[in-house]
Amino acid sequence: MRFALITCLALGLFTSTLSAAGYPPDQIHYWDVVMPIMRKYCNQECHNADDLKGGLNLERYDFISRIQRDGELFTSLIRLVENGEMPPENKLQMPAAEQDTLLSYIKKYLKEALAIPNPGQIPPRRLSMREYAYAIQDLTGVSLDPTEFFPKDPSGGEGFDNFARVLYLNPLLMERYLEATEYIVEEAYCNVDRWERIVPGYRQSLGTALRVWWQRVRHDRDISLEGPLAAAETQITDFATRAYRRILLPQEKQKLLDFFTEVYLQLPAIPERFDISMQQVFKAVLLSPNFLIRQENDRPTEDPYLVSSFEMASRLSFFLWSSIPDDTLMQAAYRDELLQPELLRVQITRMLRSPKLKRMAESFASQWLEIDKLADPSHSVDDKIFPEYSPDLGKWMQQEAVDYFYYTLTGSNNLLELIDGRYTFLNEPLAEHYGIEGIDGENMRRVQLDDPIRGGVLGMGGVLTATSLPHRTSPVLRGKWVLEKILGTPAKAPPPDVPELEEAKKTNDEMALRELLTIHRANPACQGCHQEMDDLGFALENFDAIGRWRDSYGMKLVDIDASGIMKSGEAFNGPVELKALLRSKKAQFAKSFSQKVLGFALGRGIDFKDSKTVAALSETLLENDFDASLFLTEVAMSYPFRYKLSDPVVVQEF
Amino acid sequence: MKRKAISRRKMLQGLGACVALPFLEAMTPPGVSTARYVERIRPKRLAVFYFPNGVHSEHWTPKGRGNDFELSRTLKPLEPFKKDLLVLSELKNREVDVRGTDGHYAKTAPFLTCHNITKTTGSNIDVKGVSMDQVAARQLGGATMFPSLEYGVDPIISGVDQNVGYTRLYGSAISWASPNQPCSKEIDPHHAFNRLFRTVVPGASSGGQDPWRKSVLDLVMDDAKRLNKHLGAADQNKMSEYLESVRSVEKRLTSQDKLREFEANITPDIRKELVKLNVRLKDYVEVNSGYDVTQKVRLMMDINALALWSDATRVTTFMFGNSVSNRNFSFLDGVTGNHHTISHHRSNDRLLDMYSKINYWHTEQYAYFLEKMRSMKEGDQSLLDQSMVLYGSSLRDGNSHQATNLPIVVAGKGGGALKTGQNLAFEKETPLANLYLAMLKALDVKVDQFGDSERVLTEILA
Repeated sequence: MRFALITCLALGLFTSTLSAAGYPPDQIHYWDVVMPIMRKYCNQECHNADDLKGGLNLERYDFISRIQRDGELFTSLIRLVENGEMPPENKLQMPAAEQDTLLSYIKKYLKEALAIPNPGQIPPRRLSMREYAYAIQDLTGVSLDPTEFFPKDPSGGEGFDNFARVLYLNPLLMERYLEATEYIVEEAYCNVDRWERIVPGYRQSLGTALRVWWQRVRHDRDISLEGPLAAAETQITDFATRAYRRILLPQEKQKLLDFFTEVYLQLPAIPERFDISMQQVFKAVLLSPNFLIRQENDRPTEDPYLVSSFEMASRLSFFLWSSIPDDTLMQAAYRDELLQPELLRVQITRMLRSPKLKRMAESFASQWLEIDKLADPSHSVDDKIFPEYSPDLGKWMQQEAVDYFYYTLTGSNNLLELIDGRYTFLNEPLAEHYGIEGIDGENMRRVQLDDPIRGGVLGMGGVLTATSLPHRTSPVLRGKWVLEKILGTPAKAPPPDVPELEEAKKTNDEMALRELLTIHRANPACQGCHQEMDDLGFALENFDAIGRWRDSYGMKLVDIDASGIMKSGEAFNGPVELKALLRSKKAQFAKSFSQKVLGFALGRGIDFKDSKTVAALSETLLENDFDASLFLTEVAMSYPFRYKLSDPVVVQEF
Repeated sequence: MKRKAISRRKMLQGLGACVALPFLEAMTPPGVSTARYVERIRPKRLAVFYFPNGVHSEHWTPKGRGNDFELSRTLKPLEPFKKDLLVLSELKNREVDVRGTDGHYAKTAPFLTCHNITKTTGSNIDVKGVSMDQVAARQLGGATMFPSLEYGVDPIISGVDQNVGYTRLYGSAISWASPNQPCSKEIDPHHAFNRLFRTVVPGASSGGQDPWRKSVLDLVMDDAKRLNKHLGAADQNKMSEYLESVRSVEKRLTSQDKLREFEANITPDIRKELVKLNVRLKDYVEVNSGYDVTQKVRLMMDINALALWSDATRVTTFMFGNSVSNRNFSFLDGVTGNHHTISHHRSNDRLLDMYSKINYWHTEQYAYFLEKMRSMKEGDQSLLDQSMVLYGSSLRDGNSHQATNLPIVVAGKGGGALKTGQNLAFEKETPLANLYLAMLKALDVKVDQFGDSERVLTEILA
């Protein structure tokens, strides 16, 4: 279809045929006036499907809607053209009038795109393994290590493992769910207290027993099922409602009860008869797509709408607790309170005070900071060079980051302390590792710091180790990390076909790192990004590859030069000055952090249509001293978090 | 307070005769099976081994052509198998080697599909085709318990690569059952072993059989079918993934016939190997960090070889590491640092030397696998004679990332279909898909075209 269209365009036949096909005048105008300019000055020689200069193919944008969808890209393209960087000097130049037309119309399309509220679609998704384990814990009391049963989940979007489209299902996973389910139900049963909380059981009173006996003698009829079935109905309904996170449909309930009856009748009159039957029903609940897959009902409309009360309960609980809603939240949903902003706020405030918020802290912090790498056995520290490092130390380093992040959410309530704070979380081995005295025992605790070098993520062993090579530090990797995580301006992919530098062949690790990197970026194609990236990394060179402080390199006692210059011109020397500088770039951090948290909350990528929401969230941070509770509340109150669009296919089918 | 779980025995007593006690007969050596086994048609098998980050180019290609060649430095460990080898040069995965794509992820996912993938951080995963092993599995898989098995060493890589704009999932899978769905690879030796052999090795942890399993699975499939009626495209997709997965699990777990047949094929020789491996597995404990990767790779390879020998499956893939693998290779003498960083050798002699050593280690493991297969007998043939074992990477040189002149070796005679003992160089930029097409033909898979294939690579066929 698209190819046919392009052919039409090329032959100049389009106007009559396509307007007849009912395209809006704007679109026709785009084909007639705007697109030809882009084709002539941008696509023709460079940005087409074959040449793909800069990896960019502008031929794809034959519809306004496509430009609108990639608004972010076009915003940056507009800037490049306005700055005179595109088209490049050696190519055909765009006359002012044509440039004006092109840019003004593209700006118009982008503005229109933002004027229409678009909360995006939330496709159904399987619970991530992390969420699954927490949901099982809240539902049955059984704690489960998901890594023992399941392969790791992939990530997508903003880099989190709760991203709908990559959470696929396949036979291997299903087999593991089956095994896990059988294990969970047996474990739940093994602990009497635990089991009685979910299955208070069925006890036959003497009266009932007599009645059953009498019925059997008189009428030759077995009514022994009535009592257990009534008890089962309550207990199954309760369990399945919590698992499915909504009210059960009558036919769903009936099916589960029928299954209970089927199992019950097959069993002889042993004391465990009721419990065994309940176990089987629970297995069916825990394997049901209603439990394993989060899915919201679509409505037959093309306009955005508020999600249902129970769907909102799930959105909240999976965002803030990585798990299913608790009973209070379910009751609030039942009373439709979650659709009323004031009452919704009450629930969010309550949830932020729950210790379950720690799960969110752990999930978000370890993925955002990418310190979960420390748990990946292939990414290990070279133990010949660093015998002091151990997997346990790595675990405590991760814990430090999680505890710290949790504290900025709940204790200090100040997210800016992620960049810089005068405390951290330590136990004895980690404190020793950092050269801090006076900490005894293995429990992690908050420690006030005299020295300003450690507080904040940049001074954390976990971050510093995860951004190092097994045998030495890498200023490049650390600089790249600062650009991505703190400033939200990831470097571009390295250009292909960078010619080898003769000098590079002669380098060796004995040379000072700074000298090495200077040689490597001698190529102008590398210089642009690497200058800033490497400098940012050098500010952290006083931390070795496992995060210990050092004043010089190795045996030769070469002094460390931790100075550098930011792209925006400010000079710095060492981690303390770098932290102060980054702290002053509040607006950039606020934007980058808002985008990450929103992406985590929604389980999708954040793009152009979300610009307004991201801007509003950054404002919230900036105007309220990075108040964490207020910020998380605003994320949960935000438009895309409460609203959704239907899948277009559904709309057509209704 | 703790209590004992209801024993399965008790449940089964309760059920009386309606459910047979599972697999007890498997505990005793099968009397009739040996005779049956010899008469069985010996099936052809396919195994694929992928290693990340390319090779030291100058140490890879053997000198000499045809059947008169001398193994190169990196391929030296394959000396005992020289007559079983095809070393193939100048093959190119053409579809992936285009400007504007990334060096690693965009080449790993299509290693066995030969299509260019959609660039995405996750919202529209699409590799545009089904991988070669899965094409084979679709036609050969019906006869075995598992249509195919996927093995590896490392978990999926977390996160998205913000520099290049790809989800790292693309770098973590070479087997794709559909353009949107990768096969999960098994990376835990205990899980991998138990999944196949727990019913046939006395003392291996046995899951037992739950008499209501089938009813439970039927019930949840009903749920999915009901949901499926009210869903949009994306939703239906998720629900059909769910349905297919449950169906396939149900088919295998509840079909006693296939299991019986599989168990009957466990000859005393296979059983002996299984028992030995089971003992080694009991000793193997993986700690959070710093396990012995050579040991782990070999355990996984043993399981892989046994899966093929016991005919649990006829198609397997194995990933030595994910794309951009940062494995710490300091355990090799003379190597310091991680795989990916070293592969960017910048023509530096010291790095090139380390790179070559890492390549050599991979070939050694591959040779170990071939040796295993050769020791496994099927009548007067070995398992290796019956198989095709591909070994290769999605890049040539890790420093420049090109998918031209890929490092590719095929070992095994494929049941007589392959003309081995050759070092062949094709015309420059010959599609890699031509090789896959030839291999599929050699496996008797009905297929006329694969990926961007232009012809069958007949030079390798007997």
